[in-house]
Amino acid sequence: MRKLRLIIKREYLTRVKTKGFIIGTILVPLLGVAFCLLIIFLVRHKPSQTMRLVIVDNSGTLAQPITHNLDGKLENGQPEFNIVETIVRPASPDTVQQDLRSRINSEKIDAYLWIPADATQSFELHMRNPDNFALIGPLSGAVDQAVISARLSARGVHLDDVKEILRGTDLKLLKVSETGESVEKGQSIGIAIALVILLYTALLMYGIITMRSVLEEKTTRTMEVLISAVTPFELLCGKILGVAAAAFTQFAIWMISTALLFTYGALAAAGMGAGSALSGVHIPISLVLYAGIFFFGGYFLYSAMFAAIGAACSNEQDAQQLQWVAMAPLVFCMVIYSVVLNDPTSTTSVVLSEIPFFSPVLMSLRISLQTPPVWQIVLALVLLFLTTIGSIYASAKIYRVGILMYGKRPSLVEMFRWLRYS
Amino acid sequence: MDAITLENVTKSYDSVTAVSGVNLRVRQGAILGLLGPNGAGKTTTIRMIMNILVPDEGSIKVLDQPVSDSTRDLIGYLPEERGLYPRMKVLDVIVFLAALHGLTEEEAARRAKEWLDRLGLAEWSGKKLLDLSKGMQQKVQFITAVIHKPPLVILDEPFSGLDPVNAATVEEIMLEMRAKGSTIVLSTHRMEQVERMCDSICLIDKGRNVLDGELRAIKQSYGKNTLHIEFSGSDSFLSNPAITNITRLGNGVEAKLKPGADPQEILKAAVLANVSITRFELLEPSLNEIFIDRTTRA
Repeated sequence: MRKLRLIIKREYLTRVKTKGFIIGTILVPLLGVAFCLLIIFLVRHKPSQTMRLVIVDNSGTLAQPITHNLDGKLENGQPEFNIVETIVRPASPDTVQQDLRSRINSEKIDAYLWIPADATQSFELHMRNPDNFALIGPLSGAVDQAVISARLSARGVHLDDVKEILRGTDLKLLKVSETGESVEKGQSIGIAIALVILLYTALLMYGIITMRSVLEEKTTRTMEVLISAVTPFELLCGKILGVAAAAFTQFAIWMISTALLFTYGALAAAGMGAGSALSGVHIPISLVLYAGIFFFGGYFLYSAMFAAIGAACSNEQDAQQLQWVAMAPLVFCMVIYSVVLNDPTSTTSVVLSEIPFFSPVLMSLRISLQTPPVWQIVLALVLLFLTTIGSIYASAKIYRVGILMYGKRPSLVEMFRWLRYS
Repeated sequence: MDAITLENVTKSYDSVTAVSGVNLRVRQGAILGLLGPNGAGKTTTIRMIMNILVPDEGSIKVLDQPVSDSTRDLIGYLPEERGLYPRMKVLDVIVFLAALHGLTEEEAARRAKEWLDRLGLAEWSGKKLLDLSKGMQQKVQFITAVIHKPPLVILDEPFSGLDPVNAATVEEIMLEMRAKGSTIVLSTHRMEQVERMCDSICLIDKGRNVLDGELRAIKQSYGKNTLHIEFSGSDSFLSNPAITNITRLGNGVEAKLKPGADPQEILKAAVLANVSITRFELLEPSLNEIFIDRTTRA
């Protein structure tokens, strides 16, 4: 036990202390969050300066309703637009335009809006810096509303009536669970897909890390020095548990920061007027627990397989050729998950989600969609547990033989033969 | 009590028999030279003593205990295939391995510093292994094999990569360990080192031990049958039916005599041939000769 602890400790510290781990664990999520916040900020950001606007109305009728519609306020409480002047049907349009251009250039006004005589033609907004997007939106809206309203009035219809007629319906999605409660959902499918991708990536990533770690001890010839002190089984278990501890650390940091983001981030976003996008997401704690249990079961199953592959090969190229054996079931999960997503209770879905190589991903997926009967979850866990024990046992055998074999990559048949060695 | 006992040990891989019916006893407190051509089965034998491999037949005891996972801690092992985590620091890697052998980390660190001092690596203790030269890495490896003061030490080619000064230091340490009662198994191809240091030898060829026992007794059993002659002039006198084998050296020859041959006859022939002789000595065969003799016999 003491030796196992030492191996886990070394494995854990060498993983956690690398630059890659620190960057991957802390910096990447931080950058992600910062990036999201930046986008929210940019999208919701209101300019702080009132636009000084001149309206040139060649139609003679639209200036007044547009001016009426331009009633938005800036964050500092100032109006968005200051209509400096309204010129109705100018006698000499060219002179007026020239004059307005020079007023823009001398920064007496910021822009002028050119309303054509016929509303089917283009409206023009002339400005010095056509990059003030935040105010173009409200202006365009005000123009549209004025024009549509005018057209409707010409047909004897009131704009508010049309709004009333065109108002959409609200389709609420309700999730029926075994306990009879109706919980509103809606993000379930999104969460489910995110969960599948997360589990797939994590199982693959940590499996390959374990494989590389075994391979490193072989290529640097540290292996024989190590097994003069510990048994290959202790070394295998220490390695898997050490990488698991590093994975757990990484996940814990991510989960806590996500939780913080959802609570504090939602508050912050709400403060910026973007709360709805985040605060509506609700991840049930039971799902996190189940997914965690299935993830670690799957991690032990797959990393034992990856470790055996690492032990059987003597270099990275050979290992890459052989790693498909462990990757295939995971990739299959990614191919087949939409079947489970579409109908989680079908016989196919139930059977697939009970198979130990798929259950870490597919049973977690089913749990996130609807709660499967408890016996199905328990059965999947029992099967996963038993297969994991078998996988670790077989890996230990392959590991024991493989770690001291250098040279030609063994075939799968040879690896199966190793299982029979004493 | 014997340090190592092998009884009728056999090990095969698929169709190849690597070790076949090997018997060996190593006296406690002795230095044993484990010799043999490449691929003779030395490494397999050592790995079985380390309980890394399990023999198909026969039994192995280390210090009177059948080999098991717990006998590993009685042995210090420097394998032929060796290396250490290249990205770990020198001191950390020594402490890690010493702790695996049962030392507390404090004790391991204390002893590691002493050893690094003795082998002239003190200022490298905070460096990563990959920053060290091959010879320095070799010394770190040696420290990891002996730091837990094991009663039995197995060293597979411990001198490879070491310059004469460092090789002498390692030799000195080995003799010190023997003086304190440790048993050492030395596997090497450098026969002069074996002649200088080993009390007994075991010669393995094609998986069998073809020769083992006290080195002195083995050499005596061969008798004084080798002439060491240093001379200048024609070497035609050497084509004598009494000489069965000639090994040419830099300044002379080693000539092996037929059993019962009279060395005086050779000397007479040389004088008649007008060869000027500076050295003419009748010796026991060198270990090198015994090695070649035993491993090239049909």
